[in-house]
Amino acid sequence: MAVIAVEDFEREAPVAPPGGAGGRLRRHMGSLLFLVPAAIWLLAIVVYPVVATVRYSLFNETATKYVGLNNYKSIFSTNSILLTFRNNVIWVLVFPFFVTFIGLTLAVLSERIRWSTAFKTIIFMPVVFSLTASALVWRTIFDTDPHVGVVNALIMTVHDWFSPPGAYPVDTSAGQTVASLASTGLRPGPHGTLLSTSTVSPGRTIELGMIGITPATLTALNAQRAAAPSPTPGAVTGLVWRDFSPSHPGAKGKVFPDEVGLPKIRLALVRATGGTAATTSTAANGQFTFSHVGAGAYRVQIQSSNFTAAFTGVFWLGTKSLTPTGQLSQTEQALLSVPLVDVAMIIAYLWVWAGFAMVVIGAGLAALNREVLEAARIDGATEWQTFRRVTVPMLMPVLIVVFVTMIINVLKIFDIIINMPPGSSQGDANTLALAMYNFGFGNGVHTGLASALAVILFVLVVPAMLWNLKKIKG
Amino acid sequence: METKSGASLRTPYRVGAALAVLAVVGAACSSSKSPTTAPTTAAPSATSAPSATSAPSATTAAGGLGHVGGSVSVWAEWTSTEQADFLAALKPFETATGVQVNYAGKGNNTDTAVESAVAGGAPPDVALVPDPGTVLTLAKQGKISDLGPVIGSEASNFGSAWNDLVTLNGKLYGVWFKGANKNTIWYNPAEFTAAGITSPPTTWEQLISDEATLKAAGITPLSLCTDVGWPVADLWQNVYLKTAGASDYNKLATHAIKWTDPTVTTAFATMGKAIQSDYLLGGTTGALANGAYPDCVDKVFPKPGTAPTAAMVIEGDFVVSEITGNSANYTAGTTGKGGAKCTTDPSKTPCYDFFPFPAPAADSANNSAIQGAGDVAMLLKSTPQSQALMKYLASPEGGAIWAHLGGFASPNKQVSLSSYPDPVSKLDAQELVNASSFVFSLDDLQGSWEKQMWQDMLNFVKDPTTSNVTSIEGTMDAQAKAALGH
Repeated sequence: MAVIAVEDFEREAPVAPPGGAGGRLRRHMGSLLFLVPAAIWLLAIVVYPVVATVRYSLFNETATKYVGLNNYKSIFSTNSILLTFRNNVIWVLVFPFFVTFIGLTLAVLSERIRWSTAFKTIIFMPVVFSLTASALVWRTIFDTDPHVGVVNALIMTVHDWFSPPGAYPVDTSAGQTVASLASTGLRPGPHGTLLSTSTVSPGRTIELGMIGITPATLTALNAQRAAAPSPTPGAVTGLVWRDFSPSHPGAKGKVFPDEVGLPKIRLALVRATGGTAATTSTAANGQFTFSHVGAGAYRVQIQSSNFTAAFTGVFWLGTKSLTPTGQLSQTEQALLSVPLVDVAMIIAYLWVWAGFAMVVIGAGLAALNREVLEAARIDGATEWQTFRRVTVPMLMPVLIVVFVTMIINVLKIFDIIINMPPGSSQGDANTLALAMYNFGFGNGVHTGLASALAVILFVLVVPAMLWNLKKIKG
Repeated sequence: METKSGASLRTPYRVGAALAVLAVVGAACSSSKSPTTAPTTAAPSATSAPSATSAPSATTAAGGLGHVGGSVSVWAEWTSTEQADFLAALKPFETATGVQVNYAGKGNNTDTAVESAVAGGAPPDVALVPDPGTVLTLAKQGKISDLGPVIGSEASNFGSAWNDLVTLNGKLYGVWFKGANKNTIWYNPAEFTAAGITSPPTTWEQLISDEATLKAAGITPLSLCTDVGWPVADLWQNVYLKTAGASDYNKLATHAIKWTDPTVTTAFATMGKAIQSDYLLGGTTGALANGAYPDCVDKVFPKPGTAPTAAMVIEGDFVVSEITGNSANYTAGTTGKGGAKCTTDPSKTPCYDFFPFPAPAADSANNSAIQGAGDVAMLLKSTPQSQALMKYLASPEGGAIWAHLGGFASPNKQVSLSSYPDPVSKLDAQELVNASSFVFSLDDLQGSWEKQMWQDMLNFVKDPTTSNVTSIEGTMDAQAKAALGH
């Protein structure tokens, strides 16, 4: 697409007025006349806006007062704007390389498989999709909730395989601790357990109260009304119950009629001197019995496996930095951190553009001189050597065009940034183009800053653009 | 000052806009979730609007206005349902005076549209704008008329908290027609009942202890709206208003108080107690990942088929349209005995209710200082028709009609509270009327650093430690200085 546009431009270029001798001018009069509408059009929608933007970038937020280079100064001294440069740099360093590499791989692959048209069509499809729709799809794929986001769902499957969540999982992601569940007769024990504060001997009972148990858990486990345990000779009996009564929300330690027992809690009876004497688990009404217990003082321990946290999802679209930032100042953080959300967005964007790279590189591949490849093979080059030493060098001009086009593409990146990260990450995922938009429209308009950002973006894109033009011409 | 709508106006607009951009969902959302909108579902059919209970008797009809004839042009932000409700509210005026109202709904750009029209020399006769700043700006330029002689004693229908906002040099330039209340914390009464909380908290300390009670009952206390930061800013502004008071609030809004001021630190510390990670749905990470508006509201007031996962959500009264949009089953208000009937299951008999944003016990004097938004009418071209309309807008009649239709709260003291269709909207309006001082969203007055301020608020949620607060305050003060020039 880009190539066609450039050709149009070239075709027009030689016709441009040379501004030479009168004779030549007269000779070109006809053609010049035909150029006038296009020239006016260009002036009005390209040249004028560019000049006006540069001018606005030297004015204040309402474009009413000349402020010199102040807008540029504040851009380079504001952390929240500086980080847009960082993000643009991350995008430019990572994305074009990977998209070209993947495009090349896919192009070579598609030449060698059956159904290659179908393959290419599928890979190319995301290019056709609305970028906004793609961003939303990937936002869902990376969703924090493992029941929504497929990435976290995969991790959860593996996580639960190795570490199945307990019946009463603590919400570690929210900072909940096992200790916070202890209410009556319990204190934090070793290794994430809860231990009875008092000792108990056979023939006696013990009541252990816990709080912070979600109603959903109780329903799922079919918890029944808590009943006081009765002493049994030669056995330690007791109750583990939800020490929270809606009718007496402040009262702890007493079993009220509207309180339920906690079922399926794994318990151990530990000797006061150390060592486990017996294990059991609670019934639906929260009662438990350790039978045939030898005389002595024991404590009841609620096993840590009851509380094993469930996998709650990685916040892929969050702002946790991949580089250590602990000791850095705010400005250094703005410049040096690599938020996770950038990685997630780059992956999504690769999915979008890999097909485009594949098609362009594929066209280059198709145009390669097969004789050279054949010659290499006859000379005994392996497939890999042919690819590495012959195909890639011959394809280099195409690869570079793809690479540079993608540099331009990601310098202006916008759609995916505004649509994919949750609002809370948007500030850290911000790029030049989005910052320009945010200052230019909506709440808190600052025409000057927006224009200055536009000028900077323009200046950054120009070298890549010129280089690309030159390459295509050459 | 920026000519923008108040935060509650911005809010749903952003949501609507995002959806519209985001694909197929369609632009209709933005209007259905429009600004100061509360529910329309609870309203009786529009045609029967001015029923016997709400419409004043014939003698006082249309504020005692006689026949005038002719026409008057009116601009306001309302479109679609709200436009129809507004026009219904103007019906008695048209009937009594014979003046034809030519209404144009200008959506979210009403302020800009009005200012451009004034600059262009072709303003409407009357305009209702969501920003009192626009009124004062135009009053300074002499573009709008002093309403004292026009509405006379009707000016006393509004508390000084309201009239002061649109008074310049002792002259009143605006008539408040519609208000929006951000002094609200919405809760699912069934969840409160399950935790044994019989009456909602009235002090900030009680709010924190109720959070602890909810937590002990295994119920997540708060679904924190984070979005791009504006809901956090709304919340923080409430806390600041309740701890520092309206006077300091207005000074901070203009950066006459520095962001490094101790009052700011107090507000951060006070807010931090309520949003500690284990009180939030999904913890801090969950709040940041899933706190988009209105998703955060749906966690507390879900659609049928899902159970609520948190007990409270903090935002302005515009959440009502989201709640009632999720299910028509939602019943307004439940305080006291009615609460027992409420279920957590949205397919049965769910309820919604709010309690006024509480000040700390020591600052209870600030309880009637209210943050919100509103639409204020101004007189751009003084004609007999437009003067009659201003008089009518200042009278309680139009407001009572719209109140009855639902989705409306009037700052007008004379609008009878019995006009409101349910106890929640009644209490909502009552707060507006009784406000000792009324402040607009502070972030909207921050000019070009507003979005940076939201980001700073999110940074606070991410890390509410004292050292981070100190660093955030420094950043905010520098940003305010750069943007406001002092």
